[in-house]
Amino acid sequence: MATPALSAPALPGEAELQSFAHAAAHLLIERLPRAPGSRTVRRRVGVGIQHFDHRDYAPGDEVRHIDWRQTARSRRPIVRRFEAESVSDWTLVLDASSSMATHDGAKWRAAVRAAAALSYALLHLGHRVGLLVFGARLIAQCPRGRGQHHYAAIAARLAALQPTPAGERSELGVCARHLHGAASVFVLSDFLADGEMCRDLVALLQRCTALHALQLGDGADTRLPAAGEFDLVDVETGALIRAHAGAQADALAAAERSAMTARLRSFCARSGVAFTDWDVSRPWQHVLMAHLVQARSNC
Amino acid sequence: MLSFVTPWCLLGLPLLPLIRWLHRGGRHRRAVPVSHVGLWRGSQASPPAAGERRPPDPAWRRRALLAALLFVALAEPQWPEQRTRLTLWVDDSLSMLTREEGQGTRLALALAQVALQLAAMADAEVEVRALSDPWRSLGALTAATTSTLIAGAGRQAASAPPAALLRADRLHWLVSDGAHPALLQWPGDRRPDRVFQIANVTRNVGLERLSARRSASDPERLDLLLKLSNGGNVAETRELAFVTDEGEIARSTQRLEPGASVLVKASMPAAARVRATLQPGDSLAEDDEIALDLAPLGRIPVASDPKCPKALLAAVQAHPALALAAESSASVKAALDCGMQGAAAGRATLRVVAQRAPTRLQGPLQWSSTVAESQRVRLDAEALQLAARLQAGPDDSVLLAAGDEPLIVSRAGPGRLIEAAIDFEATAIARGPEIPLLVNLMFERLLGQPLLDQIVLVDRGTGAALVVPSKRLDAQAGKAVANDAQPRRDLARPLLMLALLVLLWEIFALGRQWRLLSGPARAGSA
Repeated sequence: MATPALSAPALPGEAELQSFAHAAAHLLIERLPRAPGSRTVRRRVGVGIQHFDHRDYAPGDEVRHIDWRQTARSRRPIVRRFEAESVSDWTLVLDASSSMATHDGAKWRAAVRAAAALSYALLHLGHRVGLLVFGARLIAQCPRGRGQHHYAAIAARLAALQPTPAGERSELGVCARHLHGAASVFVLSDFLADGEMCRDLVALLQRCTALHALQLGDGADTRLPAAGEFDLVDVETGALIRAHAGAQADALAAAERSAMTARLRSFCARSGVAFTDWDVSRPWQHVLMAHLVQARSNC
Repeated sequence: MLSFVTPWCLLGLPLLPLIRWLHRGGRHRRAVPVSHVGLWRGSQASPPAAGERRPPDPAWRRRALLAALLFVALAEPQWPEQRTRLTLWVDDSLSMLTREEGQGTRLALALAQVALQLAAMADAEVEVRALSDPWRSLGALTAATTSTLIAGAGRQAASAPPAALLRADRLHWLVSDGAHPALLQWPGDRRPDRVFQIANVTRNVGLERLSARRSASDPERLDLLLKLSNGGNVAETRELAFVTDEGEIARSTQRLEPGASVLVKASMPAAARVRATLQPGDSLAEDDEIALDLAPLGRIPVASDPKCPKALLAAVQAHPALALAAESSASVKAALDCGMQGAAAGRATLRVVAQRAPTRLQGPLQWSSTVAESQRVRLDAEALQLAARLQAGPDDSVLLAAGDEPLIVSRAGPGRLIEAAIDFEATAIARGPEIPLLVNLMFERLLGQPLLDQIVLVDRGTGAALVVPSKRLDAQAGKAVANDAQPRRDLARPLLMLALLVLLWEIFALGRQWRLLSGPARAGSA
């Protein structure tokens, strides 16, 4: 039986992308500006060539990184530390499970627009951007790349993707093993799974330097089409429960969703994950800007 | 007022509550896909407690509607028709040409009465059908239709109208004199809604059948057999005369009781035609004379070949349906070729082939399966001799063979040709009956018709002379009889169409439910 095809998501236009990239530029710059100023930019230690600071030698440090001049001055072994180059690497992780396809794929279209805008803005600033699309497995992958031509590849991949209407579960953890090197990871998902995918987020945290989580929500997720008794079928797992539909049931579902969001938010706060709950009826520009501002302030 | 043809089918309607009862409980709720069932656990319905009544599946209404529509359609509801639609069935048997005293034929008088009745029904839609050809509609009742009916009366046997044409949404009127009871026995105990019957004349003697065959004792004479019947209710006496182009050949006086029939035999020399007449004439003049074309009983000229064996020529000459003729005769229809003449185009030819000295047959005689058992001539294989070797083509038909040696072959092709390799000069068979029988067989195959004991006849059918109504349909002749029937529109078909739509709706709903349930189920199994 043919599954109903979702309408292809419309990517933001060039003008929208440029406008967003311009507005979000100062929020996405990871390197410390050389000019003195009051702006604080988070810098991380890592493997690179840009000098960061010095510290005492510890067993296991590279001998070639010992700064002999500082060692002579302080009369103890001092090693040079370098600014991590990976802070300029970003990986966008996109949920293409079946729950993203419900209600005519409103969540999927919003996620695709946000991913396209983020990749455009990051590439515009010279970052390297990669894309992972997951369901029950890794559905699509776009290796990290740099430059505007790489945006065309990501956009083409995003435009060609469609979530399966039924039967595709959410397994965020499968993306962990595809994260090579330190990078900032931006997850766009509805996180509608048992445990709110917290275990998978932990797995991702261990393989990245910064993690962003954008939870997409659709009001239709907590509304049933009519009153009465229905068999509710989970589009991802096929699990079936019998439920009485009505205003009270809708209210209970909305409360449960709020509780799930609250648990996820609490987890992210504890784990240092930048988290934002996005009702897809709101414009993506506002949500992304608000998220980046919040993430910046938390640094 | 709505009525039903088979109202007992409505007894199925009380079964509808059973359909609702069958839909109680069970898996019948609508399946709704959701993003995450965990959101709805707070609204999860508990399983029904003991004694708790659960609402039935809403689909029971659709299925009950389907069943109700089918039950009502089976009951064949009918609604009274506002506009009169009428089929006029016209008995065009020979008796309808009987002339009533000083007025005209029964058919013309009855149709005039019908026309008067129809004049008072201005909006009636009328179609005329003759009982001798009921499947052909003659259109409305006009002067041309009347002429057509009168001209064609008595040509073909009439019968009762077929059931398929007795539609309930039309009135059915009948024009008949009632002389033939079979025409009033309509299928399914149906009755005409109105009958126009004119049958005042009750005396008639008619000639029903005349047949002729060659006389067995003298092929040059013909035996005639005539059947005449008294179709009236009074004993009658008639003078019967047989007349040919040469003049009267026989005359007799026949007295017939009412309803009686007489067979009259006569013998006459061969002629082109014969006619029998009754004197004095009566009201139905059309059956007082009967004519018969005797041309099919004439001898068929066969062009002869002087080279042919004498026994063969004698057999052709002795055949009652064949006659030897000169080659130049224009009436020749077949030819006997023994080597002197070729086969003329379009002429059936029997060719006797003699290419070598006669030899005895090498195997048993075998007739083709296409030759009927009664036509197979009993031949003595020892007496026959082979005068030529025939080759049978793949499309040729071997009528007689001796072992693998063809003796008589019917050649395929546009020209009709039979070749025979039998030595007809052999003295062993020259005096027996074998050669005349073989000649008859071969010429019957050549000409495609039986040549012995042909019969030609003209038959108007048993009871063709009847003019007295078997049953008086009304108290006064010429008066129309009507029942209280009213044309009705059959509503079964629209109801069946409606039921079909509901069935399609049900199939669509089931398909949608299957699609909703099968997607997650497939995912779960994967």
